[in-house]
Formats: sequence, C-alpha cells, structure tokens
Amino acid sequence: MSDDLKIVGLLCNWCCYGGADTAGTARMQYPPNVRIIRVMCSGRINPSMIFKAFEEGADGVFVGGCHIGDCHYDAGNYKWSRRSKIVEDILEEFGIEKERFRHEWISASEGEKFQRTMDEFHKTLSKLGPLEL
Amino acid sequence: MIMSYVLAKAKNEEILKAGECGGAVTSIFKYLLDEGLVDGVLALRPCDDVYDGIPTFITNSEDLLGTAGSYHCAPTMVGDLIQKYFADKKVAVSVKPCDIRSIDELIKRHKINPDNIYTVGLNCGGTVSPVQARKMIDKFYEADPNDVVSEEIDKGQFIIELGDGSEEAVKIHVLEENGYGRRKNCQRCDVKIPRRANIACGNWGAEDGWTFIEINDDVGQELIDGAKNAGFIETKSPSDVAIEGRSKVENIMKKMSKKNQDASYPLVNESDEWNRCISCYACRDICPICWCYKNCELNKPYFKDEKNIPPSPIAFQGVRLSHMSFSCCDCGQCDDVCPMDIPVSLIFDKLQKKYCERTRYVAGVTTDSKPPLYSPDKVEL
Repeated sequence: MSDDLKIVGLLCNWCCYGGADTAGTARMQYPPNVRIIRVMCSGRINPSMIFKAFEEGADGVFVGGCHIGDCHYDAGNYKWSRRSKIVEDILEEFGIEKERFRHEWISASEGEKFQRTMDEFHKTLSKLGPLEL
Repeated sequence: MIMSYVLAKAKNEEILKAGECGGAVTSIFKYLLDEGLVDGVLALRPCDDVYDGIPTFITNSEDLLGTAGSYHCAPTMVGDLIQKYFADKKVAVSVKPCDIRSIDELIKRHKINPDNIYTVGLNCGGTVSPVQARKMIDKFYEADPNDVVSEEIDKGQFIIELGDGSEEAVKIHVLEENGYGRRKNCQRCDVKIPRRANIACGNWGAEDGWTFIEINDDVGQELIDGAKNAGFIETKSPSDVAIEGRSKVENIMKKMSKKNQDASYPLVNESDEWNRCISCYACRDICPICWCYKNCELNKPYFKDEKNIPPSPIAFQGVRLSHMSFSCCDCGQCDDVCPMDIPVSLIFDKLQKKYCERTRYVAGVTTDSKPPLYSPDKVEL
C-alpha cells in the first residue's frame, strides 16, 4: 500500500533542489514516492498550489526552501514561512491532517537531511494511509 | 493623535427633523457638498420602503434629506462600490464598521486613494436582513410589515415606528433566541465603532437630539471644525457621564459578540452545507476584498471545474480562503448572496480569527501595517 503513496515535493532551485541532487549523486536511498517539482524560490509557492496537489490526489505535500538568511532572493523563504501557517490553518478546515503537509529548510549540501526528511515523511504518510477527500 | 469627543446637532430645522438623533451626519454631508469639498456623497436612500435601502450617489445637497435616518434592514456594502465606480472621484461616504474595514483593506491594496474619501462612520450594533425583518415583524409584532415607516435599534430592542406614529419594541435577544434578529455575522461582530473612519457618529451616550461624535483623526477634526464654522452644525462637549455611558454600551455589545463567537464554528468537512454549493461564484463576486475580477485564480483553467458540482471545497473555497481570509471584515455579504444559503462568512471569519491569534492582525482595524502575509519584512510567525 505505502508504495502507492503520492508525495508532491516543491523544492526551491537554489537550496533544497540542490540538496535532492546531492542525495542523488551520493546514491543515498530515499522513498521514490516523491514527485519533485522545481520552483525558483519557496517564496513563489502559493497556498493554492498545495491545495491543487491535494485535490489532484497527492497524499502529502512537501515544500523545501533555503535556510532562513540564505534565500537567493533575500526574503523569499520568510514569505513562504508566513504563508505556510495559513496553509496549515486552512488544511485543518478541510479535514486534511496537518502531518500531510510539511516544510523544511534544506541547503544544497544537506543531501543527508533531504534523505532523512523524505524517509520520515514517507513513514508518517504510511501510517496515515492514502488521503480521502 | 488623541481621539476627542464632541456632541453635535444640525442647525437646519428640516435636517434636524428628518435625521436620526440630531442630524449631524446629514449636516456634515451637506457642508461637504455645498463647500465643494467632494464630488458627491454615497449614502443609503430608501427605495420602496424601509427594508429597501439602496446606496445612492448624491451630487445635489437638496437630495440629502432623503438619506437621513437609519436603515438597519439594508445590509449593504460600499467598499467595492467606491473602488469600482468612484475611484477617480472625491467622495464622502457613510460607513458602518464593516464598510470602513473593507475600505481600509482596499486602501492597503492601493485600490482606493485615501486622499479621495471622507468617511463618516456610524456606530453599528448590527443589521437585519430585509426578508428576515419582514418575517420577524409579522411574527413578533402586532404590526403589518408594510406599515413600518422607520426602525431603530436602541437599548437592546428592535423598535419599529408605524404610519400612525405608534411604536412597538421587542428585545433583540428574544428575537435572536428564536432565530430572527440581526444577521449572524453581525451577532458575532465585535467592531461596533468605526474608529478607522474620520469620525464615528452615533447616539450611544448622547442626550436626546444630539449626535455623539468621536473624532478619530486630523481630517475628522477639520470636518467638524469646518462644518461648525460654516454654520451647518452646532457642537458642545459631552459630559463625563455621556462618555462613560457610550463606552458602557460598546462594552456590552462586544461582550455579547464574544459570547456568540464562542458558540459555533464547525469545520468545513463536518458541515453538510458545502455539498449544496453550485459553483456560482456569487460569494467571490460580492466580496469587497476580492478585487481581481477576471484575473481571479478561480477563473484559471487549472481551477475552473465545470464538471464537478458541488466543487471540491478545497479547490474552491480553499483558494479564496488563502487569498483573502486574513483580510475578511465579516460583512456577511457572501452569506446574503449565496443562493443555496451556505453560511460562507463563518469559515472566512473563523480563519481571520485564527490569523489574528497568530499575528494580532485584525482586518481593517490594525492601523500601521499591511496584512503580514504581504509584508516584505524578514519576520517569521
């Protein structure tokens, strides 16, 4: 069952996407359920993208950005971090468990953190099972 | 600036008679029009009867008399009207708290030029939907709804005046216990005095025949001074008892609202009402905060879903919630227009309250900043 879980991962080009790359080139194993979408900045991600992903059948959505202070565009990740709070509030309203939505700061060198995060997220989602809207 | 209080009443006999408690608001509008300070006044005028108040743009001060008086049964909204139709005009407008809150949010979005409007606030204990008002008068009063010539909310009572001059009053909490009375959003609204308007007027604490005015900013002070010097109103300072009485009324109202807020906020996925949604987009179109119109994200092909009715709530209301719920002024327009009677405003207000807990931001009340979601500042919540 848990092999069918769909995770949408929205990763910022400069940090987390690089982190996923690092994990890949180092051949670190992590669950293949995550479908990665590269965005230029976590500050570019709208709440509606998260909702669209869930509506289209994602069981979990992951957002990765640069560590606070490291944003390539100066303050994009601050914007995302504030936005993520409203996403959490809204998801709760629609009966989507808050554990299905996760965001993390991962730098390009932190391949291991990316691997660990994906493992954890996959484990959490396996426990929750597929999302029924 | 420190706010100051003043009592005012009209000097013009006609206005004094037609206006509610002293006619100061109508006189101030007359002053603005006659002195050429504004192009027009946007105010409510009854059309067929007392339940049928329509926003009217008045350019001739003689027509102002028709707007005097209070209209609790006409829950209108002027924020979007000003933005859509009067953006390039100098306008004076009478505003309920939710009106000024929506105007304030639109100013923050650069949709209304604050230099172009004078806002005369009206203290508001709540409004009644016209259909409900008729039913309620039919049921709880001995009068025929068609005989009502004016209505007033005072001292916790909804008072109607009939054609023959007699009055009838029923306690609002009695009406509300039976599912009538003020609109649901008004019952839980805790902004009763429009302090973001230039001045806030009302009868709370005022002696008979006078309007109690709270001056909120420099423009408000200029307004009062100007109208006084030009001979439109006379003023005097309120006594300490009056000021205390007014804040007492406000506090009682707020306390009642808080009680209603605690009462009922169901989750979207737990309430069946949302299954009734027919995707008519009326709630979006009427919303004073939603100003994108054709560019609305819900019109984009990736969200436009004409096959599924009811629509998936998260891809419809979820998107709207993420766009503007933090700026919801709880005006209740979405409830009023929903053809399927879904209590739409409930969830938007709920999200605004949640957002307020996180950020201390109250839509249209917090003065110094944009909604924190829009801020360029490097702060986390």
